[in-house]
Amino acid sequence: MCGIAGIMFKNASGRGTGKALIDMLDGCQHRGPDSTGFALYGAVSEEQLRLRFFIGEGDQANSAVERVKTELAKQGAELLEDEVIGNNYRVTVRFTGDLQQFAYAMEHNAKVISIGTSLEIVKDVGGAHDVDDRYHVAGFEGTHGLGHVRLATESDVKPEASHPFWATGFEDVAIVHNGQITNYWKMRRRLEQRGFQFTTDNDSELIAVYLADKLAQGVALREALKTSIEDMDGTFSFLVSTRDEIGYAKDRLAAKPMIMYETDELVAIASEEVSLNRLFPGQALNTKEPPPGTYDTWSRSI
Amino acid sequence: MVTLDLAKLDVRAANERIRAAGAAGEDVEVVNPDARHHIGVGLIHPINVHVRGSAGYFCAGLSDQASFEVENNVGWGLGDNMYSGSVVVGGNAGAIPGVAIRGAEIVVRGNMGSRAGQVMKAGTLCCAGNANFMAGYMMYGGRIVILGDSGERVGEDMTGGEIFVAGKVSELGSDAQLTDTAAEEIDEIREFLDRYGVSFKGGFQKIVNAGKKLRYATSERQMRSIPFFTFSGNSSYWNPKVQEDLYIKSQIGRYRIRGYGGARPLPHLSDLAFKKDLSDAGRVVDVVSKIDMYTEIGGINGANPLQLSMPVMIAPMSYGALSASTKRAVGLASSLAGIAENTGEGGMSNAQRDAATQLIFQMLGGRLGWNIHDMNRADGLEIYISQGAKPGLGGQLMAKKVTPELARIRGIPAGIDLRSPSRHPDILGADDLVIKVEELREATGYRLPVSVKLGAGRVRDDIKIAVKDGFDFIELDGMQGSTGAGSAEVIDYVGTPTLSAIIEALDALESIGRRQDIQIVLMGGIRDGVDAVKALALGADAVAFGTSAIIAGGCIACMQCHVGQCVTGIATQDPEHEARYDPEAEAKNIHRFLEGVRWQIAALTEALGYSSVRGLNRDDLVAVTPEAASITGLEYAPQYRVRGAGLEVRTA
Ligand SMILES: Cc1cc2nc3c(=O)[nH]c(=O)nc-3n(C[C@H](O)[C@H](O)[C@H](O)COP(=O)(O)O)c2cc1C
Repeated sequence: MCGIAGIMFKNASGRGTGKALIDMLDGCQHRGPDSTGFALYGAVSEEQLRLRFFIGEGDQANSAVERVKTELAKQGAELLEDEVIGNNYRVTVRFTGDLQQFAYAMEHNAKVISIGTSLEIVKDVGGAHDVDDRYHVAGFEGTHGLGHVRLATESDVKPEASHPFWATGFEDVAIVHNGQITNYWKMRRRLEQRGFQFTTDNDSELIAVYLADKLAQGVALREALKTSIEDMDGTFSFLVSTRDEIGYAKDRLAAKPMIMYETDELVAIASEEVSLNRLFPGQALNTKEPPPGTYDTWSRSI
Repeated sequence: MVTLDLAKLDVRAANERIRAAGAAGEDVEVVNPDARHHIGVGLIHPINVHVRGSAGYFCAGLSDQASFEVENNVGWGLGDNMYSGSVVVGGNAGAIPGVAIRGAEIVVRGNMGSRAGQVMKAGTLCCAGNANFMAGYMMYGGRIVILGDSGERVGEDMTGGEIFVAGKVSELGSDAQLTDTAAEEIDEIREFLDRYGVSFKGGFQKIVNAGKKLRYATSERQMRSIPFFTFSGNSSYWNPKVQEDLYIKSQIGRYRIRGYGGARPLPHLSDLAFKKDLSDAGRVVDVVSKIDMYTEIGGINGANPLQLSMPVMIAPMSYGALSASTKRAVGLASSLAGIAENTGEGGMSNAQRDAATQLIFQMLGGRLGWNIHDMNRADGLEIYISQGAKPGLGGQLMAKKVTPELARIRGIPAGIDLRSPSRHPDILGADDLVIKVEELREATGYRLPVSVKLGAGRVRDDIKIAVKDGFDFIELDGMQGSTGAGSAEVIDYVGTPTLSAIIEALDALESIGRRQDIQIVLMGGIRDGVDAVKALALGADAVAFGTSAIIAGGCIACMQCHVGQCVTGIATQDPEHEARYDPEAEAKNIHRFLEGVRWQIAALTEALGYSSVRGLNRDDLVAVTPEAASITGLEYAPQYRVRGAGLEVRTA
């Protein structure tokens, strides 16, 4: 029930990833008018983590901020910077402990949106431009990122139900997904038995955790995407991003659209060509539709 | 030559100009198309349209006679449902190019996406590059020519037509087989390729239907005649219905197919009662003229609404399941009563159009009989997703009913046990659906209401999709609804009761604050004006009658609609049987029934203290069973059970 987009500039940073994603998502907003979100990858600062939380508004927000601060101190995370933007609380900390346990502990105090050395997820109700107005996505100058527009059915139109999803417990991994994983509970139980926690019932979170778990075991992203197509049932087209890579996987039934455009400079992937053309108005692009059951990855030059 | 710049004009404005140019016989050039959807849909004139760049979904869709050239790529559903004319695409095509075409010529110079030519009926779809997954899926006729490789599962469940592949055939689909090519077929293909300037010298492999799944191995036996009312019995264990089921299964060795609705007791509108003492109802002379019953359906987003003299419509029932004479009778009755009729599946005949002053045209996954010309002469367009009697399943029309005439309208081979697909080629989620709805609106200039027929399943989710995708109204059909043919187990055991359906729908709309943004027409086991008033009081905007209308028109409820030997001439295509049906007389009977409904609605509305049906509300009702109370949240008031039968029908 949605549209997805992803872009990576292959060389150097500073190519207007934020602006590009806004344009692409605005181009396919008809696929999902309810909410819009971005997974953005900025400059990496080692040993520093950036965290974003949904904190709501007013008193509720104030008490959430207090809870977060207390827990950060308890976890031995040194607070370097913090600010409240919209209904988000954004903090930068120095932290060197076990990230997974840290993330679960934080989640019990406030709704975590993302944690990463480079990743920040920005998502909320409304269209691409509405979310940009609130969170200033356009000025974002990273090398790569993902985006998502959503039509809400099963869950409500709430900021926390919007996408992209972070791989809860794993830094810097994000997912945008169009489709439905039908063996969701089976896969989720398998991961839960191994101690992973899920913060939503959303199948995108499952894909994110599934892939992040593989990555954490030292499996290459390509390989993880390959096994995801074997392990997951249903219809899906999804994009994944890490600090240095983006990739896609597409189910064998080819039921969900996906189209990509690649040059020496960039690779852009979207649900519909109309989004790609937003980046290159008036041009006839040499695009490609990934065949069913395929996957691929791209790395930025570091 | 008219030049239209999509950097300056939106697609809707551009399409209006393209249609105007078509009518004036002027060619069109579209610049800066930038992969926008719906370019050129609904064009019905012989002009050339040149798209300088890429087009999005449904380019050239629902058109007839026009020639399109697209320089670069196209998105999903290229040439959807084209009748005649041509499209040449310089680059690649996304999924389902040539979906449901009825005779056009489509050439893709690059590769094409999955399910090329799904449910196509005639014409040629040619691809110079490779095809993808399931090319020719469920095609009924026509020709697909693939100069590259076929992709996996080519010809999956095709019933007719031919697929020619010059490259590698990696895997045949189910019920597809390789066969020999004839020299003249190859000559014809070469002539076609020459005409479109495609140079190719190699040979072809040919794929056709293997004929293993076209018909059931055994056909349905005629069963003993037990009237439905006996059949549904009182016992839930060993009753005549169970006995008959067992008997038939012992004969045919599989699940049985039957017509009619569920025969299991379920919570229903009859489990609700009116709070007020209505023993005086009907005492007002000429009550019909005193109550405001006029209802408009479908106009909330600016389309021309259906204008109903009362909040009642006829439920969609296909010409195919029903005879042409029955469709005529129902149509005439709807006109006499000032309400709307619905084609159901399988197309619109002239006779239907002439009989019904207001006619909704229904589109199903097989696109059987769907076309732009009948869309243009309809009063509403409806996308069928499912129906209450068999949610999630496709239609079944047994060979006996697939006559040459019917096959012609539907564009399929005659004499097959027709199983219509259960899903649409181009609707795999709410995100595709919104683009489809827009295509129908674009093609008909936003004049017509667009509705969705939905069998109750996950009503809460589905109704949210319906409202968010911009439908003007929803025909919500509960588990008590009937069918012309369905598996007996599904009819009895799968679905959500009508009562739950309306409550869940209203709840879900309330939860997102969108009740005002869609109208609900409730159906499924609505028998008379009393049921209708209860449905309206619960919150439906109108109701629809299927079974009651055909019973009023002579149906004897024998449940053998699927067999095709209907003795009353209703559910048959056999001229001898049909000859027994007198459409003019039955139209009067159906009309008389509808006037009875009108009187009941008026009398009850008046007795409940309102001057308009819009006054009816939940507070008028109580529940007389715990189940109905729990479903509806109405007060449980068992004492109302004894108040008795209620109103007698008195015609005006
Ligand atoms: C003979 C027959 C044919 C039908 N054909 C269609 C059809 O083509 N499309 C559709 O949406 N529903 C079809 N239906 C279902 C009805 O539209 C509707 O869901 C149901 O009949 C309403 O409930 P009721 O019969 O209890 O009034 C058919 C029903 C019957 C009895």
